[in-house]
Amino acid sequence: MTSVSASAKRPRKRNANHLLAHLVLAGFGFLLLYPLVFMVMSGFFTRDEFSSRIIGFFPIPEEATLNNYKMLLFGSADSSIQMYFRNSVIRTIFSTFFAILTSFLGGYAFARLRFKGRDVLFLALLATQMIPGTIALIPTYLQLARWPFAGGNHIFTGGSGLLDTWWVYFLGGPAINIMGTFLVKQSIEKVPIELDEAAKVDGAGTLRIIFGILFPLQLPIMAYIGITTALGTWNDFATPFFYTNSDHLQTLPSAIARLSSAATGATGTPNYPLIITLGLGTTIPALLIFFFLQKYIVQGLANTGIKG
Amino acid sequence: MEQIVPKQTKVKRFLVRKRDTLTAIVILGPMIFWWLVVSGFPTLFGFGLGFLDWVGIQAHPKFIWFDNFIRFFHDPMYYDALWRSVWMGALVAVTTLLAGFGAALLMNLPLFGKGVYRSIWYIPAVTSTVATTQIFNFFLDPTNGVINNFLKSLNMEPILWQFSIGWSVFWIVIYSIWKGVGGAALIWLAGLQSIDVTLYEAAEIDGAGRWGKLKYVTIPGLKPIATYIVITSLIAAIQIYEQVMFITGGGPYGKTEVLVYRIYKDAFWDFNLGMAGASSLIMAVIVFAATTLFYRRSIQDDRRTTIPIKSKKVGNET
Repeated sequence: MTSVSASAKRPRKRNANHLLAHLVLAGFGFLLLYPLVFMVMSGFFTRDEFSSRIIGFFPIPEEATLNNYKMLLFGSADSSIQMYFRNSVIRTIFSTFFAILTSFLGGYAFARLRFKGRDVLFLALLATQMIPGTIALIPTYLQLARWPFAGGNHIFTGGSGLLDTWWVYFLGGPAINIMGTFLVKQSIEKVPIELDEAAKVDGAGTLRIIFGILFPLQLPIMAYIGITTALGTWNDFATPFFYTNSDHLQTLPSAIARLSSAATGATGTPNYPLIITLGLGTTIPALLIFFFLQKYIVQGLANTGIKG
Repeated sequence: MEQIVPKQTKVKRFLVRKRDTLTAIVILGPMIFWWLVVSGFPTLFGFGLGFLDWVGIQAHPKFIWFDNFIRFFHDPMYYDALWRSVWMGALVAVTTLLAGFGAALLMNLPLFGKGVYRSIWYIPAVTSTVATTQIFNFFLDPTNGVINNFLKSLNMEPILWQFSIGWSVFWIVIYSIWKGVGGAALIWLAGLQSIDVTLYEAAEIDGAGRWGKLKYVTIPGLKPIATYIVITSLIAAIQIYEQVMFITGGGPYGKTEVLVYRIYKDAFWDFNLGMAGASSLIMAVIVFAATTLFYRRSIQDDRRTTIPIKSKKVGNET
């Protein structure tokens, strides 16, 4: 009796539970997505309509305009959106490439090479990961400002150093990924050393072993490191915001930060449609990176030992 | 490597050993240089900054021992900012972790289209803080904001969100949860999927119900990943400042200022580099102590656990 009723009862009970799970996940998922939906819709507004009309939870413009999006894509005479976009792209590509390269090579060196002070060095690297980044905010500023023989500096003082130059983008920000180095080290240590030795016997050099044999094995982790670095750099507003001043060095996030802080300083309503469209322009590339590469996030997490 | 080539002379062996070091220098060189520039040297420098009286970039620094630190604990501005960082961070971290855990449990069910849910939940995490806080600002705009329009349509008084301490804190916390919950869910999910399925079957045979399985299999099995995610979430939450900067600007009357935002203001508005350095150092000590304490406790707990866990590797992540 029990077995019959249990088997008859179970699927229905499970269906009801699943329906509930769907409702919860979809409902909260909608809430999480809602600000982005609002962003997309407000991009179709003109500035006047946006500031004069009473906007509800679902803003549908009376006269939809593509001007904001056009401006985002093609720029206009008095805006430098293309330049900000280009700066963001250059910076992201550089950081991602550099972070992938250094964390892979670093992981290899710490996993396979024997040299003096290896463990101390590795611990020092990891320790700075644990210390909050804000502690380095002002020292980095001072260091960049007093970089010897740059920007009119003599030895330590005088000019502006490397502040407000392209160097800020290449030196500052997430151009190296210590966590990535750690993950690669862990993962290479799982690869049997006999593989290296066999390749060596077959006549492969160090470079060949590194890039021909070990690198392909680490691809999911490298993808994970690349994605997280790319997203981190793309969304990083702090480095350009703190360490540069001129317009031609701003990236999309720092340009928005400047626009909005200028707006809150002044009286009256900010030009929301433009700011919001710019924000959308910043968000969409990040979403694209995420959508096309998201399987690697899970795969990378699975391979790196966070998952186990 | 020495085993492969038999009969090496001492010189050759020395060269081989030297080659490892040389390779390491070539390989690690650029990375170490970058690391020194962006974090090694600035961190050490930052530790020293707290002991200086240094206001204004061009001014001459003076060594004043612990005066900055004494001021930190006597000036309510700093003390309150620190306290606010701690409780707001804890609130955000706990809510995010719990909500993420619930979502991960649901996403772990054999649901139709769970990949879609996973993506949707994670999307806020990949957006830029600067960009998405603008939307929150527009929602909260006192004259034309969406929420106030809605209140007006219900014949209620519009609320001046940014002028109320409680509401400002509320929206900063809501924003932080919005941004963080998907990432937490994803990591919990990875943890859930690494638990051995046979353990559930064994528990079922032993007569464990839904709660029994959660209590005796799921939660112990998540311990390694819990260490990782709790530590990283707490560290991240205590350092919240971008949302404060863009949603309230520390207002009203500095009552939503958190410590990192205070550091930023000290450094780039008041040019009080000594005070900023001292605050950073205090922040670093707190985070470091919390991490170490929690980490050591979780390792001790791990030793006491007798339930077999599939992997224990995660503990040494952070």
